[in-house]
Amino acid sequence: MSKRQLYGRFLAFLFAVIVTSTATLRAQEDSISLRPVTVTGFAPARFLAGLKVQRFDSVTVEQFRFQNLSDLLAFHTPLAFKNYGPGQLNTVSFRGTSSSHTAVLWNGLNINQPNLGQTDFSTLPVAGFTRLAVQYGASASVVGTDAVGGSLLLESAGTQPAGLRLSVGRRQASFGNQQTQIGASYGTQLNENLRFSGKTLLYGGRMPNRYPSTQREGYALESAEASQRGLVQDLVLQGKNDRQLSAHLWLTDNGITLAPANPTSRELTRTQSYRSMVQYQTPTWTWRSAWTRDLIDFGRGDFANLEHTGTDRFLTRLEKEMNWRLGAGATPLTVRIGGEVAHYRTRVDGYTDPLITENRADLFAMSRWQASARWLLSATVRQAFVTRFDPPITPSLGTEYRLVTHSDYILTLKGSLGRSYRVPTLNERYWRELGNPAIRPESGFNKEAGLEAKWNPSPVHSLTGSLTAYHNRVDDWTYWNPQRGYRVENLQLVVARGIEVQGQWQADFTSWQAGASGGYALTRTSQERVYDTYAVDVVGKQLVYVPLHQANVNAYAQRGRTRLTAQLRGVSRSFYTFDNFRFLPGYVVANLLAETTWQRGHWHTSAQIQANNIFDALYLNVKRNAMPGRTFSLNLVVTYNSESK
Amino acid sequence: MLVVGMMGSCREKVPDPEMYELGVMIRNAGNYFDNNGSISFLRREKSTAEVDLFLKENGRSLTGNAQDYTEVGGHSIILLDNSSPGLDKIEIVNMGTFKSEATLTAPDIENPRAVVGISDSKAYVSCWDATGDFSNFYKNPGYIAVIDLDNFKVIRKIPVPKGAEHMVKIGNEVFLGAVGGTENLTVIDATTDTVKRSIKLGASPDPIDVDANGKLWVKGNGVVYRVNPRTDAVEATLRVGTNPLKSPSNYAITPDRRGFYFVYSFYDPTDSYKEKGETYYFSIDDATIAADKPFVNRVFTGLGVDPMQGLIYAGVTPSYKQSGYVIRYRTDGSVVDSIRVDVAPSGFMFK
Repeated sequence: MSKRQLYGRFLAFLFAVIVTSTATLRAQEDSISLRPVTVTGFAPARFLAGLKVQRFDSVTVEQFRFQNLSDLLAFHTPLAFKNYGPGQLNTVSFRGTSSSHTAVLWNGLNINQPNLGQTDFSTLPVAGFTRLAVQYGASASVVGTDAVGGSLLLESAGTQPAGLRLSVGRRQASFGNQQTQIGASYGTQLNENLRFSGKTLLYGGRMPNRYPSTQREGYALESAEASQRGLVQDLVLQGKNDRQLSAHLWLTDNGITLAPANPTSRELTRTQSYRSMVQYQTPTWTWRSAWTRDLIDFGRGDFANLEHTGTDRFLTRLEKEMNWRLGAGATPLTVRIGGEVAHYRTRVDGYTDPLITENRADLFAMSRWQASARWLLSATVRQAFVTRFDPPITPSLGTEYRLVTHSDYILTLKGSLGRSYRVPTLNERYWRELGNPAIRPESGFNKEAGLEAKWNPSPVHSLTGSLTAYHNRVDDWTYWNPQRGYRVENLQLVVARGIEVQGQWQADFTSWQAGASGGYALTRTSQERVYDTYAVDVVGKQLVYVPLHQANVNAYAQRGRTRLTAQLRGVSRSFYTFDNFRFLPGYVVANLLAETTWQRGHWHTSAQIQANNIFDALYLNVKRNAMPGRTFSLNLVVTYNSESK
Repeated sequence: MLVVGMMGSCREKVPDPEMYELGVMIRNAGNYFDNNGSISFLRREKSTAEVDLFLKENGRSLTGNAQDYTEVGGHSIILLDNSSPGLDKIEIVNMGTFKSEATLTAPDIENPRAVVGISDSKAYVSCWDATGDFSNFYKNPGYIAVIDLDNFKVIRKIPVPKGAEHMVKIGNEVFLGAVGGTENLTVIDATTDTVKRSIKLGASPDPIDVDANGKLWVKGNGVVYRVNPRTDAVEATLRVGTNPLKSPSNYAITPDRRGFYFVYSFYDPTDSYKEKGETYYFSIDDATIAADKPFVNRVFTGLGVDPMQGLIYAGVTPSYKQSGYVIRYRTDGSVVDSIRVDVAPSGFMFK
């Protein structure tokens, strides 16, 4: 590849970045041009008009390829994380909800750990997926249970270009921490009608966290040794007429040992997940079958007797999409109907029975109508069925209206109403003594409205911005009630409301590029039901571990193939008592990244230097241990591409 | 008298005595997984407490469940049980200023349970050592960490039975209880730091305090024992109350050392296992403990009686995720006031 070709490719790449970062706009342009939509895969956002979607460009995903998903989200979204320490449990609060109110979807499959009903983000490396989007707001009518605060959409690599690409990546970081990745992607035309492509990635890491000191300013740096390994395998067979058969596999294995040097009191938590999926798609039909296995083992001392949690899930889904043209304007209406059945088998030491099984099913219908060039409507409804009880019927309604359409300036008004639900976790129902077989599903109602703008003041500069306000009311919120020995009850009513502001600026000068994005979120979330004498201290107070204010800023400048990025994240205090009497202080963390690439023949090398927490800020995790101060890492990826010259 | 003596020694050591001299130290155990135990301080004439003295004076948190608190030789000793392995510790601070003097950590200190002052320069801390899982929780024998308060070091570990608990010092002997399965009180020679003998009582014996007659009262499973510490004779075994569902806890001796307040409670299986019960009083002269005339109709996470004013201090824990309250009662059961403190008020030291 010549220098000029490279430059051209880079410009195309940059263009892709700009386009994906304003993806909602692009989606509207798609609909306005009235081109027939070819369905490859299932993007939930298509049927969630009025809700905010944040898609991440490949540069951002690539910058975090040796880190966990939470690291990426913390610097780019207003999601709050409840972190127990490096390599330890890390759960999310999306728009003021709890850790089990975020649906994490991998190729459309909810991969929240079914016993806990939540995801430990320390076990989800960015390397495990290729595309990422954050769907804000309740989307349970489209994606099912858990999508009360929002959803995270992870997607595997789709089809790969022809040829073979091999890559080796290595990260060497402070405290002896390291990550290694070995991967390949490949594609070939098998015959006139059939194309095969795939991706294989093996990753492994060891984080011994050998801190130079056992404490920072009097707070302990907890001694913890973590390991992480996994395998990603995607295979795609493309036939004619947009038919496609694909298989996806993602195995993860994470271990964390606290106090590893202490043979009698050390604690091991091992979390393994097997996720596999086969999918067949035609332009109108999608069939998908999946099997997941989630294992957690916990033990102390010699690890001879580990407490075991294991759940298998078998799932099949069938969907059909239909398109019509309505009325004189021939406005396109899309309707997608489908159903899903799932069978769960769980074995947990602390449950009422050694093996518990249950069946779940979902029926859903989703529609999207481009009523006019300016006006988009969507309506969806879902009914879930679970052994012994059924969640409420879950409809949603959304709309987007383009207020201003100008070649340089676009302003869109959005709004959405939607119910949501959360099926109680297996722990909540089957845990011996503390569980509650009679517990009901939670039920939410989300309302939101927003504005989105795009402005191109000159050929060099482009700006996008959005402003969103929401109100999300969740009733029957389950609560492990400490006054009743931590038995779980449908006790609370939580109302979360907030404002989110996001903006992005992109400049493309002749010899260099620059850009910045920023976000601010005000999240006010509180429990509103009085259920005991002392609730007066608690009612209306901000929920624990949800900061009222969060902000992030990312800025970069690029010349040639060298890019400098700054990342900033600030959060206000987070209360840890329900009455907001005590709190963990707020903090600001800043990172700097410098990266560059080289290309020679078939070989492509990229190098990145990261300096994290450059100001050495002291902040505490929920166990009140110090998080690490300033750290450094060097990341190197060497790729062989059979097609490049 | 003991307290006054300690205050005296404190004045000698600290030329500029700070504010935490005359009042009530309140131990807030905290919520176990939040590691947020703390010490609050209340001046008797006030109805608001100063919360988290350690954070205020040292700019950092204690980080652990506050298991026990005592003052000895001008020092305050706070035992901290952290939810993470290997992070248990003891913070030693200046009694008057609450400024940190030393931190003793694992492996010297593993699951500290109770502290007792031996002399101005020595304290005993009972420890469980590392625990196992639910099938074999007390997997290690316990020990007493002997702390040299001149050099702030653990100078010795005295091996004792599993599940070592509270200690009461009588003369030169320390009587140690245990919850790990032994039926014995362990008697330790506080001069030589060695185990002298044991006294067989019954399941989970845990010493409470010494009465006006010099007799040691020991908590057992639903009973209290009166032991003659000179002869080791078990003079009385009294069943506490008659309700088979309820169990007694949080015994607090009165200033005249002639009676005890205690909480008598159960977790109601017909009402989501909510803790229910009352608080009672019995006299050391009572032949039986009927527990039929409540002092107050509610339960508490900690009790104490102020020798100076005679008020009963009762710790209320609405939940382990919100502020606790200290309610002050007169001896007739009427309420003086209610004071907001930190999470889970569980122990009091009056001075």
